[in-house]
Amino acid sequence: MSAVLAGSDFLRAPVLASARPHGFKEWHHFVVHGRGLRLLINFSLTNEVSGTGHARLAPRVIVIAHDDRWTGAIERFDDHALDVSAELDGLTIGDNRMTVAPDGYHVAIDLSDKGIRGELDFASASRPFVVNNQPVGDGRMSWLFVPRLRAQGWLRIGDREHRIDNDLAYHDHNWGRFWWGDDFGWTWGTLLPKASDEPWSMVYLQMTDRSRLRCLSQALYVWHHDEPAVIFRHAAVQTRSHGVLGRAADCTLPPPMRLLLDGDVPGVPKRIEIAATRAGDTVHAEFRSQSYARLAQPSEVRLDRSTVLCEASGTARASGTISGESVDFVGTGVFEFLHG
Amino acid sequence: MAERISSLLRRSVEHLEQEVPASYRLLLAQLGPMVVELDVDGEVFSLRGGHRLQVSDGAAEVAGARIATSRCTIIDVLDARVALGEAVEAGTVSVRGSLDDVQRAHDSLLAYVHAAVRAPSQPTLLSELRAGPP
Repeated sequence: MSAVLAGSDFLRAPVLASARPHGFKEWHHFVVHGRGLRLLINFSLTNEVSGTGHARLAPRVIVIAHDDRWTGAIERFDDHALDVSAELDGLTIGDNRMTVAPDGYHVAIDLSDKGIRGELDFASASRPFVVNNQPVGDGRMSWLFVPRLRAQGWLRIGDREHRIDNDLAYHDHNWGRFWWGDDFGWTWGTLLPKASDEPWSMVYLQMTDRSRLRCLSQALYVWHHDEPAVIFRHAAVQTRSHGVLGRAADCTLPPPMRLLLDGDVPGVPKRIEIAATRAGDTVHAEFRSQSYARLAQPSEVRLDRSTVLCEASGTARASGTISGESVDFVGTGVFEFLHG
Repeated sequence: MAERISSLLRRSVEHLEQEVPASYRLLLAQLGPMVVELDVDGEVFSLRGGHRLQVSDGAAEVAGARIATSRCTIIDVLDARVALGEAVEAGTVSVRGSLDDVQRAHDSLLAYVHAAVRAPSQPTLLSELRAGPP
């Protein structure tokens, strides 16, 4: 797998956003499934147009962590705080840095104003996969994901310091031209086993319309050790959502957005069942939400709406048979529910 | 000495007009000609709708809604430590006016927040609000 990431997971913004900035977005997203800890780190670039029509890339760093409840921060920086390395393998936003290595990533976080600092290394433990030009409303999004990595490092939020010691992790990198608030929604999930020697890793994606009533596409990606084992797509996947988690979001970020969201945004499902069948392979996966954070941003389509990403942590369970091998694990899941 | 709340609000709406003119127009349309009188820790001023948003020092002779609160409560609500409804129930935000005018004032507040979260100048103004006495 040597150099697979360095060859494929480079920054797209310097080329694509320069050529046609309108609607361009790109982000690198990391999820750590730690023991007793879930951690999300996101480096994002969003093209914004000012009142005078001037286009610029607005950089943001998002860090949220969950031990007993979600907490964290979104920090938006001026465009001059952004630097992309000449090889397109490094992104610096203020004092925060993300570097793509031949077989992994290095992430350094310094949001001192928010009391958040950390340093993590992610070593790829599975082959990455790319999905190109997925329709999202009137736009298109491409994404690369690494279903399983090993994370090592530390993160301090407020007075809590978390040690990450060879914990499982997930990474995705998304880019494209689309508009928050357009006619799309999604459910995006990473499911990883609790036992680190368990060979299965899963990623789930369902794209819907904005009202989340019409499923446009869905897939369950199953990796065995470091290789893709089976990809269930569209009609091979049946998803059922049960109930609504009976608790409010642990936090809303940026906090002033709570004024706009309370009473207006659905929460997260209590439970999601994913049943997938294809050519003798079957998987039944289940995610049970436990708590969630809301990451909000203004709609780009309507001036009186917001777009909300509900990041939910919970338990995961999967069973089935793939290529004659039994799938049977319990673990953790982090699911993202986009409300447009 | 910390900047007066009325001055911060005046600068805020001026920035909205420049930076997010479409959102500013929505806010104007929402507020209409109504006057909202604000009392923040005893500093009394008013926000007036019409062709442009105007922030005036002192009490309003006629106001559709009168809101009294504190700088501390405003920051608690903006930091999401307290929901706006909880602050009203706790009495740390007091609102007076007819039901229609209070509803219009609330809708105008939401339009203001929608505009403010789209305007790059507002985080700095929020920092200046925080710099005031607790």
